[in-house]
Amino acid sequence: MNKFYENISDALNMLYGLEKDLNIGHLTPNELKVFYTIIIGSADSSGRSNITEIVEKSGMSRSTVYKTLKKLSLEGVIQLTQSEEDGRESLVILNPVHN
Amino acid sequence: MKNFVLSSLTAFIFSSVLWVIWSFFTVQSGVIPNWVGSLIYLPHAARVLMIVYFGWRSIPGLYLAELWGPYFIAEEAYNVPLLMTSLISVLSVPAALYSLKFFGFPLGTTRQSPLNKRNYQHIGLITMISSFFNALLVNFCLSQMHVNFEPKTGMFVEADINQVLRFFIGDMLGVLLVFVLLAIFLKPVLSKS
Repeated sequence: MNKFYENISDALNMLYGLEKDLNIGHLTPNELKVFYTIIIGSADSSGRSNITEIVEKSGMSRSTVYKTLKKLSLEGVIQLTQSEEDGRESLVILNPVHN
Repeated sequence: MKNFVLSSLTAFIFSSVLWVIWSFFTVQSGVIPNWVGSLIYLPHAARVLMIVYFGWRSIPGLYLAELWGPYFIAEEAYNVPLLMTSLISVLSVPAALYSLKFFGFPLGTTRQSPLNKRNYQHIGLITMISSFFNALLVNFCLSQMHVNFEPKTGMFVEADINQVLRFFIGDMLGVLLVFVLLAIFLKPVLSKS
């Protein structure tokens, strides 16, 4: 039985390493949802997505999305810029990953 | 004996759950077309995780899980050659582990181990090699026994390189997706441990 738990612990250690390198350990479930919405949105629209779309697609409130974007921006995960087409809209751009 | 039963049962449940999820989205609901579904084959994650961490004890459970799902959906399609291909799929992971051991990379649990089961990058290597064995040997077997069904023509044809590649990529992407989802869902457990 102890061996069984030892094996589970090894597997959890491996997953912990993956979580650490993906840098998703410190995000709350809501923040993760916003983050994934940005990734999916960016894949559809060549690396850019706007905040209104993120609010609609994530199903989160505008304030949660804003707080998350601020956190991700401070961590250098994303960049916030003003849309050239519509000055009232901010665009979210994913920063490239550096190892 | 208790450890054997527990490991095999865990493997059976884990593999079955992954197969049911995969089958629901690809075969049953049709949300994801079949060919895309085979590009993300989730149950390979169960094979890798269970055999790497629980060893040979998980093989009977994994094998039974490989059999019951497809048999449940298409009873008439099942025959001896397909029992063999399921076995090859399960044994692709031990084959990868033995190949690595043969070349001087035995599996261990410390930082000094050439192949450390606590390091996800090493698990990635095992996944890649086992996917390669699985893709190559299963398709070879299907072709040799003339049981490779082509839905477009409704005939049994020899497996081509595209199918081999699809199996290879599908197994790897399936493992990646399951691992990332597990890392996310087990976040509270991981941070405590």
